Amino acid sequence: MPDFDADDNKLTLKVVFYGPALSGKTTNLMQLHSLLNPQRKGELMVLETRDDRTLFFDMLPIGLRGDSGLDLRLKLYTVPGQVQHDSTRKAVLSRADGVVFVADSQLSQQDNNATAFGNLEENLEKVGLDIDTLPMVVQFNKRDIPGVADEQDLQTRWASTPWAPLIMASALQGKGVIDTFKLLLDRLYTIINGEYHLERQHGINRQTFIEGLSASHGERYAHL
Amino acid sequence: MRTFEDDPALEDLLSPEQKERLDRLLSDLCTEPVRLSAQRSEGSVPVEFNLETIGWLTGGSREERQAAANLIGFIMMFVAKYRLAANLHHDTTEASYAELQRQNEALKASEARYRELSEQLQDKVDEQVRVIQKSQQELYESARLRSVGQLAAGVAHEINNPIGFISSNLRVARDYLEDLREMVPASPTNQELLDDFEDLLTESMDGTTRVAGIVSDLKTFSSIDQADYSICNINELLQSAVHLVQTEYHHNLKITERLDELPPVTGHPSRLSQTFFNLLDNAAQALRDSDRDPANGRILVQSRIDGARIQVIIQDNGCGIAEADQARIFDAFFTTRPVGSGTGLGLTVARDTVRAHQGNLEIESRPGTGTRVTLTLPMHGGQEP
Ligand SMILES: Nc1nc2c(ncn2[C@@H]2O[C@H](COP(=O)(O)OP(=O)(O)OP(=O)(O)O)[C@@H](O)[C@H]2O)c(=O)[nH]1
Ligand SMILES: [Mg+2]
Repeated sequence: MPDFDADDNKLTLKVVFYGPALSGKTTNLMQLHSLLNPQRKGELMVLETRDDRTLFFDMLPIGLRGDSGLDLRLKLYTVPGQVQHDSTRKAVLSRADGVVFVADSQLSQQDNNATAFGNLEENLEKVGLDIDTLPMVVQFNKRDIPGVADEQDLQTRWASTPWAPLIMASALQGKGVIDTFKLLLDRLYTIINGEYHLERQHGINRQTFIEGLSASHGERYAHL
Repeated sequence: MRTFEDDPALEDLLSPEQKERLDRLLSDLCTEPVRLSAQRSEGSVPVEFNLETIGWLTGGSREERQAAANLIGFIMMFVAKYRLAANLHHDTTEASYAELQRQNEALKASEARYRELSEQLQDKVDEQVRVIQKSQQELYESARLRSVGQLAAGVAHEINNPIGFISSNLRVARDYLEDLREMVPASPTNQELLDDFEDLLTESMDGTTRVAGIVSDLKTFSSIDQADYSICNINELLQSAVHLVQTEYHHNLKITERLDELPPVTGHPSRLSQTFFNLLDNAAQALRDSDRDPANGRILVQSRIDGARIQVIIQDNGCGIAEADQARIFDAFFTTRPVGSGTGLGLTVARDTVRAHQGNLEIESRPGTGTRVTLTLPMHGGQEP
């Protein structure tokens, strides 16, 4: 649920990186933090990890100003993927406006992907969100590892779902991370613009929304 | 509603004491004291943390002010991290607790439902047992009544005819005796013979009258013709029950009848007769079981009107009912008498019959002194023909 504060003309959106343990959610967020160069970017808050495993969540706030003075904020969260942290996962997931599902491409992890996806469906229902209308992108990470699940197979398998096409990524190498995020922003814009008239009332069209929030240092430099 | 992820305000991050301490520590680093405040004021610079302005800083030199604001923003990140984690922990703990409570409630509700169900089950079983007991009793009683009734009807039918012609023959014979007196020569011997003959005939006629009475009582008692509810004369039913009990006890009982005039009552004559008979039979047995001299045993049968109700009282000065047994006297098959002398159904059947007539049966008894049974029947419907 977007959080709109009319007094401050501030709209806060929440995107949650979900997925099985060790699939690379935190790595995705760390890469976004270093690669992105949006209008406004806060600090990456990594909350208490043990052996690099997320215990609570990670959070990165980024922002954009509209012509109307709209203060648009996007808070990017990761959940802890380990099974035992389900109540934390549920609390972080609640009121999400968009989800990035980070799957692990390694063949040995396919069961875990399925379990985590089932857990996502279950928790979305518990927090009152509809998986069919929620903007969501599915990323298959760790493509750099040899012998991972075949991309063509994966794309075919997901072709008939609302989440096709899948994004292939290697978060460790910073590949596919921004593509994933851009696709999510694209899907998110459709829903949010419908509800808050971003384009009509605040002068934020799809392109401004996506590029304003996902501009990377590379692109910035390219403009120069 | 605040959730863990809401942007924290200054007072969420620092207590007033902590804020003052921070002011002092920063002031030590500056040429002029600096002050952090939630409100903006003249010349203040914003303190930003994660895209959010959480406060305003005044004092110090221009450079010092900005440097201090940056430092506070950096420190706030660690404070906020802790707050966020603590809030999240609080939220999830509360959610888990609420969920636990909800489950507990659900568990309690289902437990209550099962308990209720099991109680209902017990009630249903009890009720079913009562129904079975009652129909068993009724079956037993009606079979008994029917066989007694059939026997009585048969006996009445078989005896009625011969008694009829015996008594009319006896009357004719007495007429013939008058004729004989005129025909036979008058001698003292003849006279004596004829007188004796007349006495024999008179005695026989008394006997047949008595036999006819018993037959009629049997007919009333069994009420063969009245299987269902009909108009009954309570006093008549009482009297035939008294006669039958007397017959059973060889006319040795001292029964006093004090019967007031009563309106006719709608009822089941044979069941009422059976009830009266059972009560009288109980009274007679109580006299026999008493330590008292049998010559002093008395049964009092009373009927009277009590407001809109009819009361029948059967009282004896027999052995009474032991206190320990009084609570059980209505139990089906309960009997204090030796095995074989009765089924014990007497009082249960009596109470059921009276209840079926919307009446009431009360028993007062004192061991060694006697028993008084008061039977109350409503008069309604009794006025109709
Ligand atoms: N080879 C390879 N390793 C990766 C990639 N992405 C992440 N990893 C590694 O996988 C491990 C787990 O990554 P994280 O980002 O901490 O995983 P997570 O999904 O946040 O895990 P949890 O917090 O436990 O849910 C780390 O050692 C990463 O370096 C990738 O694209 N390729
Ligand atoms: Mg993590």
